[in-house]
Amino acid sequence: MPLDTSTYSLALLRLDGRRWNELRRIHAQISTQAAADGSSYLEMGNTKVICTVAGPAEGRRGAVGGGSQSEMRIEVEINIAGFAGVERKKRSRADRRNAELSHTVQSALESTLLTHLYPHSTLTLTLHILAQDGALLAACINAATLALVDAGVPMYDYLVACSAGSTSASAAAPPSSSAIPGLGGIGGNRSVGADADDPLLDLNGLEEQELPYLTVGTQGDSDKVVVCVMETRCHASRLEEMLAVGIDGCKRVREILDGVVRAHGKKMIENE
Amino acid sequence: MPREAELSLNEREFLLQALRENVRLDGRPFDTFRNVELKFGEEYGVADVQLGKTRIVVRVSCDVTAPYPDRKFDGIFNITTEFSPMASPAFEVGRPNESEVILSRILEKAIRRSSALDTESLCIIAGQKCFAVRADIHVLDHDGGLVDAACIALIAALQHFRRPDVTVEGENVTVYSLREREPVPLAMLHHPLCVTFSYFHSGEVVLVDATLAEEQVRESEVIVTMNRHGEICQIAKYGGSPIDAVSLLTCTSSALGKVQALWKYIQEKLDEDAKKRDAGGLMAELSAENAR
Repeated sequence: MPLDTSTYSLALLRLDGRRWNELRRIHAQISTQAAADGSSYLEMGNTKVICTVAGPAEGRRGAVGGGSQSEMRIEVEINIAGFAGVERKKRSRADRRNAELSHTVQSALESTLLTHLYPHSTLTLTLHILAQDGALLAACINAATLALVDAGVPMYDYLVACSAGSTSASAAAPPSSSAIPGLGGIGGNRSVGADADDPLLDLNGLEEQELPYLTVGTQGDSDKVVVCVMETRCHASRLEEMLAVGIDGCKRVREILDGVVRAHGKKMIENE
Repeated sequence: MPREAELSLNEREFLLQALRENVRLDGRPFDTFRNVELKFGEEYGVADVQLGKTRIVVRVSCDVTAPYPDRKFDGIFNITTEFSPMASPAFEVGRPNESEVILSRILEKAIRRSSALDTESLCIIAGQKCFAVRADIHVLDHDGGLVDAACIALIAALQHFRRPDVTVEGENVTVYSLREREPVPLAMLHHPLCVTFSYFHSGEVVLVDATLAEEQVRESEVIVTMNRHGEICQIAKYGGSPIDAVSLLTCTSSALGKVQALWKYIQEKLDEDAKKRDAGGLMAELSAENAR
């Protein structure tokens, strides 16, 4: 589905009216499921995720596979609801894309949680994706972080993630000033379309189909990258600005999530 | 399910201490690959890569089928991976473990999603007939660096493969056997190759092409896929210890050098093989690209 993103260079506004460095609305709640040890509900734009945490508890008997017993095992299950996308698709459980997604969340959490405090135990995270509109991995990671905070599992810092893209010169052909002489004149000193590859923050689903993007996850507001996944082809020279914008976005996501946690804590204290 | 034998504490300590003193167990510098050895089979599309002790065979084959109804103008290209139990006791047939899932996903993203193979060129009659190209990756021996080795083998095999020539007259398709007409190479748009970086000592030590022992001890890995034009096809850092963003950038720049050197080596081997096949010097005349 070719999509016309070339209008970006004219107004410097994206399809949904955001500027290049604006996040979508992030709405989050924690302790949404009473039955779970920890739970959260997160919306990043139109991407909606519910996360529940069970444990740390004794692992299933005869549980197979990796990890030494001196550290907590983390299991991540991701469910993409049939109605999450535009068209209804039946996904098999052994979907490799899904397996990769849960592997990413799991190994990112392994380095963020203090796993050595819970030997011989298992932590199970279940992520339900209710609606999909870009930044799926980022939403999963952020929702997992909130649910783990709610569950009271000790961690070094918030694990936050955010996606960043680049308006590629190839996809959005830079309108030469001769093609639109009127605009070039009005633009004055700002040369319209000259800077055809602006970095963009937090892409929505349509932009993700069109532009190269990556997902960055950082620990707290440090500049250290825990997760970096890029799946689309783009020139190496774009990576730096995309990373910089992504890391900056992570810091803002962290503030938002921190606000949610603090508000929830305050409410809990008042109710007691 | 058996697990990969873990390194003992002593070996682990020894390896880490050696790395701290800037020594790798096999004496390589930090930023070099092990010896790559690439061989082609008798048939077109069989590549055998040895990266140190890791050994991977890729076989590319094709047949004619109907295209997917939602992709009428595209041929079909599939990559399947198989970890043979002879490579490691941890591999079981029919039960993909985590590393197999990751390997097939990385190759999928690196080669298929970056459209290294032009699938449109595999179309014979839109909506009715197309070539289905299939690449089977067999891991025969496992000593780390599976992703890198598999990617080298896959790219070499795809580049080496020849599909049968076809002619279309109206609705009639004639597929010529290898004897009738010289087969046609696949249309490769670019040649992505993977380089894996392993991080130790909270990012102070970065290794290229880690062996199995080093893989078991490392804190995190970054898999970068690039082509020789400096385009990144895929980056995967799935977790592990946090690293500096700047170090990701240096990874990509050093990956570019590695990819260019690897591609040069593959190209040399391909030329060598072509020369061997071109016994009487007739290849240029027989080539399907000539006008008939």
